[in-house]
Amino acid sequence: MGRFIGVRLLHALVILALVTVLVFIIAQLMPGDGVLAAMAGSIDMSDASAVERVRKQYGLDQPILVQFGDWLARFVTGDWGTSIGGGEKVYDMFMRRLSPTLELFLGATIWSIGIGIPAGIIGALKRNSAVDVALTTGTMIGVSIPAFWEAIMLIYLLAVIFPILPPSGYVPFFEDPWLNIKSMLLPTFVLGTHSAGLLARYVRSSLLEVLGQDYIRTARAKGFSERAVIVLHALKPAMIPVVTVIGLAWAHMLGGAFFVEVIFAIPGLGRMSVDAIFQKDFPVMQATLIAVTLNVLLVNLLVDILYGYLDPRIRVRR
Amino acid sequence: MSGDTDRRAFVLGFVAATFAAALRPGAAEAAGGAIKDQPWAVWDKNDKPVRGGYFRVAAEQYIGKMNPNHWPVNDWVSMGYFHERLMFNDGQYKPTVPWLAESVKFEDPKTVLMRLREGVTFHDGSAFDAASIKYQMEWIKDAKNQAWTLGMMAPLESIEIVDPLTLRWKFKQPWAAFNGVMTNVPGYALSAKALQADGDKYDIDPKGTGPYLLEEASPGNYLKLKRNPNWWFAKASGHPDMPYFDGIHVSVIPDPAVRLANLRAGKIDALTLEKSQYAAVRNDPNLNIYRFPGNHTAGLRFNTTKGVFQDIRLRKAVSHAIDRRALIAGTQFGLARIASCIFPGDHWCHNPELKPVAFDPDLSKKLLAEAGHANGLTVKGYYPNTAIGQTVAEAVRNMLGKVGITWQVDLLAPAQSATRMREADYDLATGGWTWVFDPDPTATGLYHPGGGFNFGRSKNDQVIALVEAGRQEIDLEKRKQIYWQMEKVLYDAYEDAWLWWDETVVAYRKQVQGWKNEGFMKYRDAWFWAHPLWFKDGKQ
Repeated sequence: MGRFIGVRLLHALVILALVTVLVFIIAQLMPGDGVLAAMAGSIDMSDASAVERVRKQYGLDQPILVQFGDWLARFVTGDWGTSIGGGEKVYDMFMRRLSPTLELFLGATIWSIGIGIPAGIIGALKRNSAVDVALTTGTMIGVSIPAFWEAIMLIYLLAVIFPILPPSGYVPFFEDPWLNIKSMLLPTFVLGTHSAGLLARYVRSSLLEVLGQDYIRTARAKGFSERAVIVLHALKPAMIPVVTVIGLAWAHMLGGAFFVEVIFAIPGLGRMSVDAIFQKDFPVMQATLIAVTLNVLLVNLLVDILYGYLDPRIRVRR
Repeated sequence: MSGDTDRRAFVLGFVAATFAAALRPGAAEAAGGAIKDQPWAVWDKNDKPVRGGYFRVAAEQYIGKMNPNHWPVNDWVSMGYFHERLMFNDGQYKPTVPWLAESVKFEDPKTVLMRLREGVTFHDGSAFDAASIKYQMEWIKDAKNQAWTLGMMAPLESIEIVDPLTLRWKFKQPWAAFNGVMTNVPGYALSAKALQADGDKYDIDPKGTGPYLLEEASPGNYLKLKRNPNWWFAKASGHPDMPYFDGIHVSVIPDPAVRLANLRAGKIDALTLEKSQYAAVRNDPNLNIYRFPGNHTAGLRFNTTKGVFQDIRLRKAVSHAIDRRALIAGTQFGLARIASCIFPGDHWCHNPELKPVAFDPDLSKKLLAEAGHANGLTVKGYYPNTAIGQTVAEAVRNMLGKVGITWQVDLLAPAQSATRMREADYDLATGGWTWVFDPDPTATGLYHPGGGFNFGRSKNDQVIALVEAGRQEIDLEKRKQIYWQMEKVLYDAYEDAWLWWDETVVAYRKQVQGWKNEGFMKYRDAWFWAHPLWFKDGKQ
């Protein structure tokens, strides 16, 4: 297992290096003048030379290779540059925004697992019953509902009509734990709903498939209770595709996080990265895309390790 | 400028005020005097403001850097709480109201004598005086300090300290826009002591003279300001309790629907509304809603130097094909006025004789035929890819389509639009100007070869000559006539297709007291800053 993890980590490093170069090339190929665009929306533009001065300030007047070399040399020493759109140090921005996003991901995953797995199990056990139909309908709604619409509706319902929760905003946990939990309830729920629906569908079909296996029939024939059959024999193998879904959902959450962070005014990485792309804010783009890549690579690695735990045959084959 | 009209309208748009009486025709000077005697500082005797509470507002973006001369600044509203300017514009956007400056007088077209207010201190306790302003202007002019405003101060040759509160400014050439520049970013007074100590630190720790000081900053999340107990204006105006709020909390809320939800939930106290939100809240019993003319001209920009729109007949055909009334009703929810030229209708440089271009599709078809395009004309261009941008572009595209003009319009993000603009890669594109204060930046930016929005797309020699003349003429009446003439030339040449002048809608929770639309409309910024708002009973 140790060797396996080592090899995967090495792969991850190679991919990371490739992504770094690719992101830089793509950023250069993207049409648009971020400095001019941002300044035009912010200040008096009668003086065209103001744009040139700002370009110089950020080193954007240098040849592309020089820019890349400078960026890389500084990046590895922890100096991730300065945001063109926000004027802050990218490293500081990144670190400050990491915590809200992680909290959002974690909360969404809890919602996703907390709703998706029980719904899937109940759906499988009560197959074709009214409960199953209701759950299937619920999960379909969860999968298909647009996140921004769901968010706005929930805000109006639970913050304006019935003012139970704050409409938006973020308060760090260590500053005010109760307010933090209250302010994160809606965003995590919205982000978690989509993957919860997906998860429930996967759990249901996976569990149904496992429940049809010979060894389950054997277990039942041996006289195990239905609870024991499901918990001890069916659930663990049924979780293999589910782990994949959880891993994929986590990796793709950043896309959903953008909407959620914008709508709920959470100062996280999702909002920061998409703003950076629109503004052609290269230092921020580079840092966040590397973080996204790392996130995907690490989650994939974790999923692979979990496969081995859930299915010893996979471990042995390796 | 383009873009964030509503956001900045909320407070920065409160640029302006008075002195019509003090301004003698033909004199480019701003006379001062005791604050209490100024018409924009008069209080309604029925108003009984009380202290207390944190005023909560929302910003679309975090402020960015807090030195206004360092880019980026994304929230000019909050900037105005820290920093005050030497001058304000009046209700017609004329730069005639001395604020931190007590008086400004042109001794000749290349020399200005400026007297500063006495008893003003910066947030760090240092004195606001002639030496601090001289240091600040020299700091801006020093390229190593990377002030984006350096170009705006290019005409300045030197500053002489006459006495501790008097400065003599000397220019390289006649500088008619000087007062206007002092109402703009270079006119924000910054503590010389703080700049000297650490110019970079100033970006996160501003030291102005304004009514509020920075209390706490959480980049990307919020900004918290606290009351400046030593605000000079409180004493000077005879209202020692000013400003009345204990502080201001600016939350960053990017989504407009969520900003409105926060207002309706009582989590923020004021909001500049999206036009589409007006109908939903106009009868809300918990809110007071105010409408007033904004300072933004929306239009379409022609490329008059290459392509088909070098032909004035085709520019006319486009302009007459647009039903501006329908466009305002359908895309602006009725919250705009039909524009007749580049300067807004209430701007002192707008020529009142110009009437909006008539909607006349038959004339458009005739002009197309005359220009050899009876079978139709295809042009390309771009428009912002925002929700409202898409609606406007689609509406205009349809209107043009009805007379036989196919507008191949690309909906682009700002960065992409900027490139197309810089490369003049369009026939017809989004245009206009946000924040039309001193006329020169707008006129230069759009119509002069050196302008930051021109890039060779407009080269009208008559207009260029008038722009240059307007820069030199310090006599306000004569200067006004120059810009009226410039607008007439632009209008006759169909240089652009101007569409509408914006209207702004702000909503306050009923608990917030003190806003008076009439006062604001008459004196704008000066009235706003001279009449701080308060909470009823001092409670949120």
